[in-house]
Amino acid sequence: MNQNETMIRFSEIKKQYGDFSALKSINLDISRGELFGFLGPNGAGKTTLIRILTGIIKPTSGKVFVGSFDLFAEPDKAKSMLGYVPDRPYLYEKLTPLEYFDFMGGLYNVPAEKIQQKGEEMLKIFSLWDRRHELIESFSHGMKQKVAMSAAILHDPEIFVVDEPTVGLDPRSVKLAKDFFRELANRGKTVFLTTHTLSVAEDLCDRIAIIRNGDIVALGNLEELQKRASMPGNDLEAVFLKITEEEQATINPV
Amino acid sequence: MNSFQLVGPAIKKLRRVFSTRNRKVLYSLLLGSLILAGAIYYGLFRFLDYVGRAPMLGETLGPIVGSLLVSKLLEMLLMTVFFMILFSSVIAALSSLFLTDELTVLMSSPTSIGAIFRSRLILMTVESSWMVLIFFMPALLAFATALKANWIAYFIFPGFMFIFVLLPNLTGAIAALLLASFFPVRQMKKVFQFLSILVLTGLIFFLRSLEAEKLLNPSYFKDVSQYLLSLQLPLLQYSPSTWLHQASMTLFRNNTGEAIWQFMPLFLVTATCFIIVNIMALKVYRYSWQKSMEAVDNQVRSLEWVRCAITWPFRFFKPDFRVIASKEITIFMRDPAIFSQIFMMAAIIFVYGYNLSILPLKDIPTLYSGEINDTLVFLNGPFIGFIIASIGMRFVFPSISMEGRAFWAVKSSPVNPRRILQIKFIVYLVPMLLLGVILCAVTNSVFQVSQPVLFWLSYINVILITLVITSLAIGVGAIYADFAADSPLKIAGSYGGFVYMILSGLYVINLLALESYPMYRFFHSRFFVVRGPTAMILLSLSAVLLLACTAAWIYLPFQKGLETIENYEPE
Repeated sequence: MNQNETMIRFSEIKKQYGDFSALKSINLDISRGELFGFLGPNGAGKTTLIRILTGIIKPTSGKVFVGSFDLFAEPDKAKSMLGYVPDRPYLYEKLTPLEYFDFMGGLYNVPAEKIQQKGEEMLKIFSLWDRRHELIESFSHGMKQKVAMSAAILHDPEIFVVDEPTVGLDPRSVKLAKDFFRELANRGKTVFLTTHTLSVAEDLCDRIAIIRNGDIVALGNLEELQKRASMPGNDLEAVFLKITEEEQATINPV
Repeated sequence: MNSFQLVGPAIKKLRRVFSTRNRKVLYSLLLGSLILAGAIYYGLFRFLDYVGRAPMLGETLGPIVGSLLVSKLLEMLLMTVFFMILFSSVIAALSSLFLTDELTVLMSSPTSIGAIFRSRLILMTVESSWMVLIFFMPALLAFATALKANWIAYFIFPGFMFIFVLLPNLTGAIAALLLASFFPVRQMKKVFQFLSILVLTGLIFFLRSLEAEKLLNPSYFKDVSQYLLSLQLPLLQYSPSTWLHQASMTLFRNNTGEAIWQFMPLFLVTATCFIIVNIMALKVYRYSWQKSMEAVDNQVRSLEWVRCAITWPFRFFKPDFRVIASKEITIFMRDPAIFSQIFMMAAIIFVYGYNLSILPLKDIPTLYSGEINDTLVFLNGPFIGFIIASIGMRFVFPSISMEGRAFWAVKSSPVNPRRILQIKFIVYLVPMLLLGVILCAVTNSVFQVSQPVLFWLSYINVILITLVITSLAIGVGAIYADFAADSPLKIAGSYGGFVYMILSGLYVINLLALESYPMYRFFHSRFFVVRGPTAMILLSLSAVLLLACTAAWIYLPFQKGLETIENYEPE
């Protein structure tokens, strides 16, 4: 397994909504086994970039490579390598968790026995096994998030994309999720996550990008970001606020 | 805030729907609607005009019996409209009064419960009635024209209809409030099943007790006077449709004052229901809504064996087909309102089949027998097409919207949108085709056609219509998908549902127009045989045009729907 292999490449990604530029020109490479955090204030463009990566929306221009596949030229091959958990876990409410796993697994061509085995394992990890016969509509936000997370790994994706993974989760589940992401990265999988919980990013991520107004304004590990903000030894929260405020001041000088 | 202000967001949403649409599409839709309405109006007017004169019964008896038959048909039509709206309104009321998301905000606001209730009542009345009214209005106005009504009648009749439509909605709201007081609204599947079976059984017994076939055949009666008497008797005493029927007949015969007087019972009953429903709302609405919030659906065990039996064969298909088809059927069967819809459609199919089976075709004089049987067989396909279109509107059209906000899961998967639409198309086409062909076979068995080719033509028509209707339902359903909608009924009753019905109607007109020349030739050939290259060329041209048009009607909506889905950006 080549740890330097680029698993995700964004090349000149732009997204325009009328006159509004949601993403200006994103260039970013993420390697195999990397746990990559994508941070930014509300409306900065994090979710837009994640949706482009998962093929849910199309960019106005630019290219995305997943592994060696061009996402827009070979979407089926590229998407097979991705597992995605959205920020709001909208699921098929009239299905039970096991039926939902069967559905998601089928879309990724996973054999039924493997879906059954993996689904069972994940429900037990997330303490949902006793509720396996209930419809998802009766689940809380956090429980749905756990179901979505479990479904995303059924096909053993090379890249795990998570938008706001800890929202709605109880502290025990946050710990479980964090351990789970770390374990994935240790197994050589790439994890791409966005979060507002800076402590999660600080604890977990190998590299972090900060996006503001559709542009990446800082990129590197915590040390590099501290240097960029001229705040050595400070925590990520202080660094993040400094960088985003500086950028805001550059855009709107008093 | 008053009720009308609370309806404001819905009006703004409607305005947005129209303002964001392409003008050309809107004008084409308007033109299509006018063509369809014109075809229904003119076709029915000609039919009623003929029935009204009943020339086969002679110059004296014909107009007397004919006008009574026209009156009876109007009564049946009004009764059908009433029951259709009544049945839809109970489900619409449960959805509008208890299950919409915005109620949480409204109920937690200082707005009065009466205003909230009335605003929901206005919305549910519009939702459950507008399409039924639009499609039945040309037919009802055809009666006015056939009965030679003056211009005043055309202004007063819509007012009558407004009150008439309000009543089943008020009754639906009363029923919903009562049901919600005793049962948890979110666990109503069994209640719906029970109600649906009750209504269907009631309808079958009622239709059987009418013995309408006797009205079409005077030989059942001892003498003419008894026959005329039976035609004059109302189908149901003291019912809203009977009151409206009597008032409308008087109105169409230009006795306006008397008509308004006859309409009074209906007006008073509606006003009373309005008062009752308001009192009930003030007393129980908030309580029953709070109760509905406590209960959560958990109906997975209900009818599981049926679901398993239906989805079992899919295990032999490719995984993507298996899971999409199984998910489609599972969600369909777990929708609490779906059974009432199935029973309603079953009732329509039953009524159609039953009415055909009781037609006294064997008693028709031999001279007319061939023509009437042949014509009915020819029209059987398009009639079944309308039934299939109604079924498609309720079950197939909402299928894309019902993916809901979970559609991201499919969009981010390796299965491409074309494959998803293809699977949906096949999953819905098979049962629709089966239903259409079986219905065609059963109903064709009552006819005695002069040429078996007409039977085959009716099967071809049903197959072509079903193919187009399924493609329209999937394609137009994708173009006008509302992923935030909470009920298939709402989706079916939306702007997109209307577009789908208009397009379905236009295809049927297109099919009939292209088959009119071959049919004309067919009927003509009884009297003298037509030979020659021109006839053959024109006949072949009709067939080729029909197939080409059908292919376009299948391909275009599907392709347009596919483009919409490909460009759709979920929340």
